[in-house]
Amino acid sequence: MMTLLQVKDMQTFIEQYHILQGVTMDVTPGEITVLFGRNGAGKTTTLRSIMGLQPASKGSIHWKGESIERLATYQIARKGIGYVPEDQSMFYDLTVGETMRIAMRRQDDRTMERQEWILNVFPDLRTFWNRKTGLLSGGQKQMMAIARAYVNDNDLLLIDEPSKGLAPIMVEKLMQSIEMMKAKTTVLLVEQNFFMAQTIGDRYYMMDEGKIVHQGSMQELRNNGEIRRKYLGIA
Amino acid sequence: MVLIGLPFVTDSRSFLMMLTQIFIFAVFAMSYDILLGYTGIVSFGHCMFFGVGAYSVGVMMNEKGAAIGSLLLAILIGMVLSALLSYIVGMLSLRLKSHFYAMLTLAFSGLLLVLAEKWRSVTHGNDGFTFQVPELIKDRTVLYFIALVIMVLVYLGLRRFIHTPVGRVLQAVRENEQRTESLGFEIVHYKVLASIVAGITASLSGSLYVLTLRFVNTTVFSMDMTLNALLMTIIGGVGTLIGAIIGASIIEFAHHWLTELAKFHPIFERWIIFFGLLYILVVLLFPAGIVGTLRSKWHKYRKARPQDTDPSGVSTESESQGKKVNVS
Amino acid sequence: MDGVINLLVNGLATGMLVFLLAVGLTLIFGLMSVLNFGHGGLFAWGAYGGVWLYGVTGSFVAALIGAVVIGMALGWMMERWVIRPVYGNHVQQILVTLGVMLVLSEMLKVVWSPNPLKADVPPLLSGSWEIGSVILIKYRLFVIVIGLLVFLAVQLVLKKTKIGLIVRAGVMNKEMVQALGIHIRTIFTLVFMVGAGLAALGGALLAPYSGVIFSEMGMQFAILAFIVVVIGGMGSIQGSMLAAILVGLSGSFLAYYLPELSLAGNMLLMVIVLLIKPSGLFGAKG
Repeated sequence: MMTLLQVKDMQTFIEQYHILQGVTMDVTPGEITVLFGRNGAGKTTTLRSIMGLQPASKGSIHWKGESIERLATYQIARKGIGYVPEDQSMFYDLTVGETMRIAMRRQDDRTMERQEWILNVFPDLRTFWNRKTGLLSGGQKQMMAIARAYVNDNDLLLIDEPSKGLAPIMVEKLMQSIEMMKAKTTVLLVEQNFFMAQTIGDRYYMMDEGKIVHQGSMQELRNNGEIRRKYLGIA
Repeated sequence: MVLIGLPFVTDSRSFLMMLTQIFIFAVFAMSYDILLGYTGIVSFGHCMFFGVGAYSVGVMMNEKGAAIGSLLLAILIGMVLSALLSYIVGMLSLRLKSHFYAMLTLAFSGLLLVLAEKWRSVTHGNDGFTFQVPELIKDRTVLYFIALVIMVLVYLGLRRFIHTPVGRVLQAVRENEQRTESLGFEIVHYKVLASIVAGITASLSGSLYVLTLRFVNTTVFSMDMTLNALLMTIIGGVGTLIGAIIGASIIEFAHHWLTELAKFHPIFERWIIFFGLLYILVVLLFPAGIVGTLRSKWHKYRKARPQDTDPSGVSTESESQGKKVNVS
Repeated sequence: MDGVINLLVNGLATGMLVFLLAVGLTLIFGLMSVLNFGHGGLFAWGAYGGVWLYGVTGSFVAALIGAVVIGMALGWMMERWVIRPVYGNHVQQILVTLGVMLVLSEMLKVVWSPNPLKADVPPLLSGSWEIGSVILIKYRLFVIVIGLLVFLAVQLVLKKTKIGLIVRAGVMNKEMVQALGIHIRTIFTLVFMVGAGLAALGGALLAPYSGVIFSEMGMQFAILAFIVVVIGGMGSIQGSMLAAILVGLSGSFLAYYLPELSLAGNMLLMVIVLLIKPSGLFGAKG
C-alpha cells in the first residue's frame, strides 16, 4: 500500500537542544496512526516539524511522494494537512462561526458539506455558534480545534493529545468522533492515554528521547505489556 | 601621541576646534554605547542628558559668573539632574518591552525641548544666549587638552565599568535576558543603573560642548543630537567604545567636508541622507558596525592561530554582536 | 460657553488626526510586534504629497487619495526592504525604523523644500457656520467626520470581513493562522500598507488644518501618537481612539488655559497610565 506521509531520519534542534534525533515513520492512508511516548519524548515536536512550524534541520518528509520539508507552513497546510495543536490555539476573541469562516480555504459545496458533517458530530459547536471561542469549555475548545482542521478537504489530520486535561467521558466522545472521521480522512494522533487511543488506533509508533523505539500494529502493543510498562509506565 | 603634539604643529584654529568637538561627541557616543551596545537598550531621547548638562553650565555661568568653582558645581548639578531623570524614565519603562523605553525617552526629550523653548526667563527660548567662561578655558588649546583628557578618562572609566561584575551582568542581559533573569538577577535594577551611568556621562559631554561654543540654545535638546549619538555608535560599531570614538570622528569629519561641498551642489546640504542610508544598511547588514566587524574578523584570524592567547578579554564581546538577541 | 465648544471641536479634530497616525502604529504592532518609528515620516509625506497634489490638480479629493497612495507605496517599500529582514529582532527594528524616519524627513527637503510650505483649505470647506454665538469652523468638523468614518470603517473591516478576521486571528496566534494555510507575510504587507496609507491621510488632512507644513512635523506628531498607543494599550483600536480623543482634548484645553503645560499634560497622562496599568487602558498584555 502506498504511504501518504513518509518521514525519514528527521532531526530537529530547538536552540542548541537536539530534540528529534532521527524520526522515521510512515502514515498509511485510511488508517489512524498513533504516536505514543512520555512527556518530553518529542511527540509534539514531531508534529510541529512535519507542519514546518519547527523546521527539521536534517532528514526528509515526503507527502504523496513529494518532498515537503523545505516548504513554509502555509504551503504544507495547503497540500492538505490539517493541524490540531496541543494547546488548541483558539482565536479566543473570534466566535465559533468566525473561526470556521477563516478556516475555510474555499467556500464550495464540498467544504460546506464537511462543515455540516462535523457540526453534526459536534452539535455543541452549532449551539454556541456565536460564542467567542475563548469562552468555550475545554472539551468544546478541542472540538473547535478539530473542526477547524477538518473543514477543509484535508487528507491528513495531525492531532496532538486531544485527551489532555479532559474528563474521561469527554475523551471517549472525542475518540469516537475521530474514529468516525476515519472514513473521510487519515489521522496521525499523538497520545499518552493508551487505553483511549488503543480503541481507535490501527498502528502505533513508540517514541522515547527523540527517537522511534518501537512500531507495529495496535494489536501487537495490546499484547506487549513490557513495552507499555517500559515507555508509558502502565501495564 | 599625535593628538598630544598636534596643537603645537597646526595653526588652524578651526581644525583644532573640530578635533575638540570630536572628543566631546566621542564621550557622548560612548555614553550611548553603554546603553545600546552593552545593555541592548534603545533610547531615542539621549539628547535630554546632553541638554541638561549643557544648560546647567550655561545657566550657571550666566547667573553666577564665570568662575572655575561654579563651573565645576554646574557640571556636577548637570550630572545629578541627569541621574535623577534617567532613574525616573528607567523605572517607568525599563521593566516593560524595549519599545516602551524608546518611546518614553523620545517623549521626555520632546518635553524638555518644549520646556527649554517656553521657559524664556532662564533659557531665552529658541535664540539661546551667550555666556562668559572662566579665563583659563578661553584658550582653545587648553580646551582641546581638557576635552582630550576627559575623553581618555571616560574611555578608561567606562571600560573598567563594563568589566566590573555589574558590567558583566549587563552584557549577559544583552545576550539573553530571560536566562539572566532566571539566574536570579533583578534585571530592571541593572538596566536602570546602566541608564544612569549613560545619563551622567552624556551630561558631562553636554557641559563640555557648550563650553567650547560659549553659547547654548535649544538645539542641544533636539532630535538631531540623539541622531548624532545613534549614527556615531551604529556606524562606528556598538559594544566596543572605541567604535563610538571612531564613529564620532567619521561623522564630524564628514559633516564638515560635506557642508563645504554644499557650495558646489545643494544636495550636500542634505548630507544627513547619506548617513541615514548608510545607517540603515549598517543596521541591516553589519549590526556590529565598522569596529565590531573588523574585530570579529581579527578574532577569527586569531582563532586560526590557537597559540595566541588574548590577554585583554575585550574581544570576546564583539563576537556575539552579529547575533544580538532581541531584548523584549 | 462658545469658547468651550470651540476648544472641544479643536481637541476632537486634533484627536482624530492623531488617531489616524496611531491606528496604523497599533495595528502593525499588534499583528507584527513591530513598532514603526518611521510612521511619522509617512505622515509628513502624506502632508507634503497632499499639498503638492492639491496645487497641481486643484482637487482636494484627488489630493487626499493621492496622499494615501503615496503613503501605501512608501509603506510597501518600507515593509519589504527594511522591516522584513529584521522580523523578530526588536532592537534592530527600532533602530532601523528610526533610520527610515530620518531619511524620509530629509528626503522631504530634497523633493520639495527645506522651508515650511503653506497649505490652503479648499474653498468648499473654508469658513465657518455661526449658530447663535457659537462659531464652528467647517474644516475642523470635516476632519472629525473623516476620523470617525475611518474608525468605523476599520472596525467594520476587522469585525465583518474575512480578511479582517484573519488579521485579528493573526494578532492572537500567528502560527495557527499559518497552519490553516494562510500566508501571513502577505497579510503583514497589507496591514503595513493600510497603516501607512492612514498615516498619510492624517498628514494630508493636517496640512490645511494647521496651514503650514514642515519636515519635522512627522516626529512631533509621532510623539503624540506614541503617547496615544501607550495610553490606549498597544494593539487596541478602541483604546487608540479613546486615548487620541483624550490627548486631543487635554492638549486643546491646556493650550488655552495653561499653554506651557500642553505637552506636559499628555506626558503626565501617559506616566499615570504607565504607573497604574502599564498595558494601557485597553491593553491585554504589557
